[in-house]
Amino acid sequence: MSSTTEHSDFDYVLIWVWLVALLGAGTLAFLLPIGKGAALAVIFGIAMVKASLVVRDYMHLKSERLLIYVIAALPLILALGLALVLIPDIVYHR
Amino acid sequence: MDTAIAHAHQPPASFLRRYVFSIDHKVIAKQYLTLSLAMALIGGFTAYLIRWQLAWPETDIPGWGPIGPDNYDALITMHGTVMIFFVAMPFLLGGFGNFLIPLMIGADDMAFPRLNMTSFWMLFTASSLIVASMFVPGGPAAAGWTSYAPLSDNPIYTGVTWGQNLWILAVALEFASFLMGGINFLVTALNLRAPGMTLWRMPLMVWMELTAAVVFLLSVGPLVAGALMLLMDRTLGTGFFRPDRGGDPLLWEHLFWFFGHPEVYVVALPGFGIMLEVLPVFSRKPVFGYRMMVWSTLAAGLLSFLVWAHHMFVSGMDPRLATPFSVTTILISVPFAVLVFAMIATVWGGSIQFTSAMWFALGGLATFMIGGVTGIFLGSATTDIFLHGTYFVVAHFHYTLFPVTFFGGFAGVYYWYPKMFGRMMNEVLGKIHFLFTFIFFNAIFIPLFITGLRGNPRRLYEMSNYDFLKPMQSLHVIATIATIGLLLGQLPFVANFVLSMFFGKKAQDNPWHANTLEWATSSPPPFGNFAEPPTVYRDPYEYSVPGASQDWIAQTAPEPFITTVAAD
Amino acid sequence: MSNSTLAAHTATFDTGSAASLPSGKAGVWWFLASEIMVFGGLIGTYILFRVAHGGWAEQASHVSWRLGATNTLVLVTSSLTMILALNASRTGRHQRAAHFLLLTVLLGLTFLGIKSIEYTREIREGFVPSSGMFWSFYYIMTGLHGLHITGGIIFNAILYFGATRGTLWSGGHGNRIEFAGLYWHFVDVVWIFLFPLLYLS
Repeated sequence: MSSTTEHSDFDYVLIWVWLVALLGAGTLAFLLPIGKGAALAVIFGIAMVKASLVVRDYMHLKSERLLIYVIAALPLILALGLALVLIPDIVYHR
Repeated sequence: MDTAIAHAHQPPASFLRRYVFSIDHKVIAKQYLTLSLAMALIGGFTAYLIRWQLAWPETDIPGWGPIGPDNYDALITMHGTVMIFFVAMPFLLGGFGNFLIPLMIGADDMAFPRLNMTSFWMLFTASSLIVASMFVPGGPAAAGWTSYAPLSDNPIYTGVTWGQNLWILAVALEFASFLMGGINFLVTALNLRAPGMTLWRMPLMVWMELTAAVVFLLSVGPLVAGALMLLMDRTLGTGFFRPDRGGDPLLWEHLFWFFGHPEVYVVALPGFGIMLEVLPVFSRKPVFGYRMMVWSTLAAGLLSFLVWAHHMFVSGMDPRLATPFSVTTILISVPFAVLVFAMIATVWGGSIQFTSAMWFALGGLATFMIGGVTGIFLGSATTDIFLHGTYFVVAHFHYTLFPVTFFGGFAGVYYWYPKMFGRMMNEVLGKIHFLFTFIFFNAIFIPLFITGLRGNPRRLYEMSNYDFLKPMQSLHVIATIATIGLLLGQLPFVANFVLSMFFGKKAQDNPWHANTLEWATSSPPPFGNFAEPPTVYRDPYEYSVPGASQDWIAQTAPEPFITTVAAD
Repeated sequence: MSNSTLAAHTATFDTGSAASLPSGKAGVWWFLASEIMVFGGLIGTYILFRVAHGGWAEQASHVSWRLGATNTLVLVTSSLTMILALNASRTGRHQRAAHFLLLTVLLGLTFLGIKSIEYTREIREGFVPSSGMFWSFYYIMTGLHGLHITGGIIFNAILYFGATRGTLWSGGHGNRIEFAGLYWHFVDVVWIFLFPLLYLS
């Protein structure tokens, strides 16, 4: 459990500030008239960044051993694979 | 540190805490075993009803009454659901997994004993729900164990209302139970291995249970989502799977089989694990290619996620998916072939002891091979177009599931009963049990391969509507008579199991002269499993080592090897 | 068998390999892996359906992005309070840890409160699960997520009471805050995706 003892409260608050700022930016991208495709790219890009902040810094994934990465990564890959295989049937053959 | 262990090793005092709400993995394992055998009675009885109906459709079934089109589908649904979710999984994972993993790795219990207890009672509740579903108005679920939409989704097709909803809840709860159990297995094997018990010294049974746990854990999620969608379709008017509401029935098939296919390997791997423990011991030979078998097992587990659409070749899915899934399905036969060949090589040239456990392990291996090769025809889209939905499929999956669950499971019972209950089972009854089981099992399903190849469709309550099926009726009659024989042939086992508990010869620590750690403690093991925490010095399969003074060397025997005198 | 006995047990039965993962943490991560599959399956299906059926812009316009954004703020802040509770417990500041646990619980309840307001308004306007495919997905995803939030609130509340009574610390169960935190952050991450998927698309 030694992976996380060195963080101060301030570090965590800083992450939170980033999260809130990104939340604002994403919402802004939604509201501004910047074309649907661009807006969606920005919004979901921001969501990815927010998620990785929480996972790396709050869940301390960045300081965990390889096994945890594997445990976290495997289902993501599998879920993505499932979605990809579903594309022909769901998207193209409705 | 000794005091920590000593302090934890007082068995609970009250009857309830000791035998009902126990956190001891050995007690919980026996609870799973008992539950699964009880549910097997239901599974077996439904098989009897189904087969009688198919052989003599115009007659009332003795002990039951008439079966018609309205309740036949409910029967096959209950048979499949009960056998897979409430017999095979509790038997192989809940029962043997729970009993053996801590013992085989030298631990005193699972990593999360209270979670273990919770898992069992969740399964008990789920089993109660599925039994209850048989008595509600409208009857039990009748959409097959695969619960395809819209048959399962729209009540007008089957007339079933509460039964299908309870089915969904029961299966979801069963999933949750085995999810918790699987996490327990994985963390236990990761963290609680005895000193010297490296991953590469774990018995293959443990590797199999762990792989099954991971495969289950990663495959069940999308079906949980799907089950929730189905429940909402049925109760809240959504239309995830209903074309009339904008949904897609094919989505259900994908979500179901994404889980459903890995699931059959979740059942198969522990069955193999049992065979892989029994075969070397009664051949007095090491397993052939231990590491190769571990890699094959892991490869099979991984590949199991990539084959699911072979159940859907004729479903109307995008035909471009047929080739990739045929390729992956043929590929997955490779690691299983490795396992099968390695098992044969293990036995080859050995000094075979034909105990009941060994008969069942060998019988399981032989019958599984038939199941495996017939799977090749089904895995290739071109032949599957003809064979899908016929009795060929039924025979194929019974030739895989039955060997691993019952031949493997019974091998496990005959092998580990002394360890579990401290008594020896009767070998004569065991061999009679094997003879009946082996002969009648084959007599049921070989005829069904034949009718299936000739185009006999599945899930028909009787064949009279099809002229081309009428000449094959005699094959169905043979299969039914064999079914009755198979079921009656289990009576020696029931008698043996019960009577040996009280009258069997008292078992020594290691009646089979086996190496793995469960045999290094008393039969049954004490509370806490080992009087002293064991230290492991060697691999699990050192049998007939040249130059050794006896043909087995326990994993706990230190280097250099000095014969430990076997009192018996 | 108490956790402390098991912790001692783990230390005793060390396999000699590199520092192993504490059992509780390993267990939570395996659990999260299975949860990723559940939400991943739902979200993947939703995305594909939405793309296939023309975007559902009309149906989706009836959710309130303001309430959604507010809830995101609430949940993200609750993740902060959760990690601060963990940090406090690690540095021996037990009172502080308890306070932050309470804050996390309250923020979680706030999330549920805002969600209920949304649901009430939407149902009053006639948008129920059967109102269309977007709504079916909206209710199943936020509903399942809400159930997970509820579970997390209950567990955090139990930890809070254990913290104030002292039983959490005396029994050596302080690391349960870490496990609850991992779960809570996961539920937050799911929402981080649900928000744009349902409210900003």
